This record gives sequence, structure tokens and C-alpha cells, in this order.
Amino acid sequence: MAHFVEQIIFGLTVGSVYALIALGYTMVYGVMKLINFAHGELFALGAFVGYIFLVTLNWGGLLGPALAIGCVAIIVCVATALAGHALERVAYRPLRHSDRLAAVVSALGASIFLQNVIMVVWGAQYRAFNASLLPTIVWRVAGQSVPLIRVFVFLTAVVTMAGLYLFINRTRFGLAIRAAAIDQGAAKLMGVDVRKVIAVVFLIGPALGGLAGLLVGIYYGQINFNMGQMYGLKAFTAAVIGGIGNIGGAMIGGLLLGLLETLGDAYISGAWKDALAFVALILILVFRPTGILPERVAEKL
Amino acid sequence: MGKFFFQVTFLAMAVLVASAISMTSPSITSSWAASTIKVGVMGPTTGSWASEGQDMVKVIEILADQINAKGGLRGDKVEVVVGDDGGTPKSATLAAQRLLTLGVVAVVGTYGSSVTEATQDIYDEAGVPQIATGSTSIRLSEKGLKKFFRTCPRDDEQGRVLAGKVKELGFSRPAIVHDNTSYAKGLADEARAIFKSQGISEVYYDAINPGDRDFAVALSKIQAQNPDIIVFTGYYPEAAMILRQKREKGWNVPVIGGDATNNRTLVEIAGRAAAAGYYFVSPPSLGDMKTPEAVEFLKVYQAKHNSLPSSVWAVLAGDAFQVIAEAIGNVGADSTKIATYLHNDLKDFKGLSGSISFDEKGDRIGEVYRLYQVDEQGDFSLRE
Repeated sequence: MAHFVEQIIFGLTVGSVYALIALGYTMVYGVMKLINFAHGELFALGAFVGYIFLVTLNWGGLLGPALAIGCVAIIVCVATALAGHALERVAYRPLRHSDRLAAVVSALGASIFLQNVIMVVWGAQYRAFNASLLPTIVWRVAGQSVPLIRVFVFLTAVVTMAGLYLFINRTRFGLAIRAAAIDQGAAKLMGVDVRKVIAVVFLIGPALGGLAGLLVGIYYGQINFNMGQMYGLKAFTAAVIGGIGNIGGAMIGGLLLGLLETLGDAYISGAWKDALAFVALILILVFRPTGILPERVAEKL
Repeated sequence: MGKFFFQVTFLAMAVLVASAISMTSPSITSSWAASTIKVGVMGPTTGSWASEGQDMVKVIEILADQINAKGGLRGDKVEVVVGDDGGTPKSATLAAQRLLTLGVVAVVGTYGSSVTEATQDIYDEAGVPQIATGSTSIRLSEKGLKKFFRTCPRDDEQGRVLAGKVKELGFSRPAIVHDNTSYAKGLADEARAIFKSQGISEVYYDAINPGDRDFAVALSKIQAQNPDIIVFTGYYPEAAMILRQKREKGWNVPVIGGDATNNRTLVEIAGRAAAAGYYFVSPPSLGDMKTPEAVEFLKVYQAKHNSLPSSVWAVLAGDAFQVIAEAIGNVGADSTKIATYLHNDLKDFKGLSGSISFDEKGDRIGEVYRLYQVDEQGDFSLRE
């Protein structure tokens, strides 16, 4: 039983990172009906921007870990948001009125382009965050080890997601986003600036992805130029499980996928972990393509 | 205005990146005299193993420049032609065909076993000798291919040394972890078989996923079996994460790995405290290559690139290139003659990684593996 509790904690940490990235996929899909395949690369970019400040410029040593991570988190969010915005301008906006397939191909192209830019700029080798950035504090709860930093990763993700949820559901602009997600044409007639909505969605989604990249960099300590690929695929799976286009669904889907992976790893076999995640994707696509949440919710963003 | 501005910026970025790529890409070497001898280098200059591939090319370019500075081979200049295998079998077949079309007389490469395997038949049919540099999978040289060689040792050799060292160090309850790649699984199975023959049975045997970062679950499962050593046969990024997360758990079990963890990034990722005490078996590290050839070469490399190659595999690629050059120097730029020369006449060639000879299967002869341990400073220290 204690073993089980430990797995749940691991699963929630892994899952909360998936959820953060999945939000970017799902928000963009909700408004534009486009899978932004370059999102995984924005996640990787977030990790590398964090690397510049925390390792190359050594802010961790200069400002102390808490302040440094706080400042860098903001910088990373801004930088990836701008990158996401540029991506939308360059790769998606010109194709807004063309075939959907063209936009998907453009997304794939953008993904390959960004991945190779990261490789050219930072090189192909693995980069390491300083292992001593955060102190290794491990809580002992009922005989189980609970590393503090896992709790930190989980809480950061949850707080960010709660903020997003309030923004979407409680503000005027959130209402505009939801309206644009349901029907762009009708939203336009009601005076919603759809162009602006899309621009904002392309700021928020990448910012969350970038933040997830920073968390992965800080926690696991290793980043490389193609890290966005696997995380992107997993997060995409999470978004589909929750019902793509559905914000609450992406959060739940991310956490569920994290739990599925860790429990599969713990009770079946580590070798089957990725296979399980993608079997879940296939099953959802075949039997419930709108995601596990009830249909009514899945219609909306 | 806005749209135009962005299109212009985008184009400018694209041009910048393209020029950056062409500047860093070493394959473009032009303006040779009329007759050049083309030697192919097939390596992963992009993809997940890109750092290995890029180092391979850097090493070989230096060696080729040195040969050309001395007047080339039998009066002809050597031209290095790079084919990027991307670290995947699919791109490798394309790279191989491209190299053959360009008329290479012999090919150095490549790093990954599955990648090499995809190209073996292509080179064999074309009659061009191939010298693999990091592909340690056993079956590559068991196919009866007459023009396949390798400067790296085989996995059975490594498995034997790995299992032997575990026993020598006095451990009896190993937990074996691989990552499902043909290299890691092959090595794990080899070590497992040897443990069995010595009456040691492992307490745990399972795989993790390459590219994964979270091994907390695997570690707690392993811990439940109470092993006295973890044998991890995969690559360094995962090994580093295992060390780091094992320390985070406050668990003090030693870990031993194979040669794919011989990379200094391991210590950076894991942190010195977590990496200290980590064992691995590997061909000698760069710093332990004490032959005058190696010392001299590494000095030149350091001066040119301001760093050392990040692993030993790139140096083994350099050795592959050197034996090809030696063969061409003796028998001329003829693929068949080069292969015959390497099989029969090349004896104890003084390479960077020690003396080189090949047996009838094309495997390198001689004991290559050593046991290393990461010390408190994070350096790889040789243990004997």
C-alpha cells in the first residue's frame, strides 16, 4: 500500500508536467482547430532559455535559488510566449484561410525548423542544469520518501493551471476565448476580436509549455534539443485523452496519463511504459474521440 | 506593413540559420586538385547522437588534414565525404547510397549498431569496405561479410568484462536494467548469461525507456528487491538520471554500467555527489590514452576545437580512418585491395587507441576494456 502511495506521488509529478504542455495543444486546437506540432519545441525552448539564465549566467548562484527561479520563470514565459506569437505570425496566420492540411504541414515544418535551430544554437549534446541549484530535501512521510522538489513541480503546475482556469471562466477575455472556440464566425458578429483571441492563445499556450520546460530542466537536470519530441507526443496524448479543445480535460488527461504510466511501470513492466501511454491514445481515438469527459463539456474550450 | 515585416524577418532568420549550418557543416570541402581519394564518413551529425557524429567528423578532418599536409597518399589528396545517418537506420541507408554515388573507396562508420546494420548490405553489394566505430552488437560481424570491420570491441567481450568485474568487486545480487535498444539489451543478456554460468542469479531484470527522465518508479521497484549492485547497460543520459534520482531517494547502492556511459556529460547531469562511486567498463578514456600518437593528436584537437572529444568513440572513428589511409598508402585506392590488406597484412598498426589488427571476421583483436570509477572530483579514474 505504501508502495502504491509513492507511485501516485510520482505519477502526479510526471502528469502535472504533461498537463501543462497539454494545455498549449488544447487551447490552440480549441480556437483554431489546429494541432500545433511545434508546441513540443516551444517546451524545449523554454528549457534552453532557462538554461541561459540559470547556468550560463549563473543567476542561481548570484540571486539565490528562490529568487532566481522566480525571475527566470517569468523570463521563460515571456520568451516562449513571444516565440509562440512569432510562430503564429509566420507559420499559421498566412494559412488561416487555406486548407487545414496546409496548416498541419506548416506546423510539422515549424517543429523541425525550431528543433534544428535549438541544435545549431546550443549544440547537440545534452546540457546539464547545476545539480546543486535546489537543495535535495526529502521528506519522510509514513516511511515513504517524498522529495520536496517533486512537490514543488506539482504545486507550480497546479497553481498555474488554477490561474488559467479562473482566467478562462471568470474574466471577460476568457469569455471571448470560449466564444471563439465554439464558433468563430458568430463570435466575430458579437463583436469578439477573434484575431486578438488567437494571438493571446498563442501567447498563453507557449508560455505554459515554456514553464513546463523550465520545470523539467530544473527537476531532472538534463535537457537536449529533441526533448520536445517525446514530451510533445505524451502531452498531445494527454490532451486527446481529456478531449482536445477542452482545458479542464487537458489537466485531467495529463494527470491521468502520468498515473497510467507510473502505475504501468510499477505493476506491469518499465519496458511497457510508453507502449501503455500510446495504447491509451489509440483506445481513446477509437472508442471516444471526444475524450473521456462528457461530450457537452468537450464541445467547449 | 506588419505582415511584410514578419516575412522579411523570417527570411532573414532562415538565411542566418542556413549559413550557420553550412559553416558548421564540415562536409563541404572543395577546391581539391584533379585527383582526390574519397573516403566516406557515415556518422550521426544530426539526431539524438549528433554530438558523437560531429566529434567523429572533427577527429577525421584533423587526421585528413595532417595526411594532406604531408603530401597525401601516393601523391593524391584525401577527401573526406560526410554522410549524415541521423542516428536512424532509415536515414543511414540514404546516407550510404549517397556516399557510394559520390565514389568513396571505403567508409568509416557508424556509431549505433542498428544503424550500421541497415547499411552493411548496401556497402557489401557495392564492394566497399566499411569500418564501424561504435557498433558493438555481436551479430554485425557474424554474417560472413568480407568487407566489414570495426575498431570498437564487441558486446560479448564487454559483457564478459562487465560480469567479471561485478564478481571481482564481490557483488552477488545484481539488478540488471537495460533500455530495450539492441545494444543495451544485448549487453544485458550477455552479462546475465555469464552471471548464470557463474552461479550468480540476478534479483531484478527489466527495461526502462530511452529518452525517459523519470526513473523513480523503476528505482523503487529495484530497491524492493534489495540488490547489492545495479547493472545498467544503457546510455549516459539515462544512467545520469538513475544516479541522480537514486541519490534523491537517499539510497546508497553502487551502480555499474557499460561503455555507452563513458561520457563526461554524465557527471554534469548527475552532479558530482551523485556520480561519485559510479563504475563503468569501457575502452580507455581519452586521458588514459598514453600512446605518443594519442597524446600528440589530442593536443592538436584541443588547440583546434578548444575542447576534447566528448567520448572515446570519435577517437575509434579516427583509428578507422587511419587504417584505411594506411591501407591506401600501401596498396592504392582500390576497395578490394584495401579490404584484403586490412584482413591479412595490417598487423599491430599504431592507432590512437592502441595497436590495431583485425581477425577474419573483421573484429578488432585484443583486450580493450578497462574498469573505471567516478571519483569525488567527478573525474573518471582507471581502476585495476
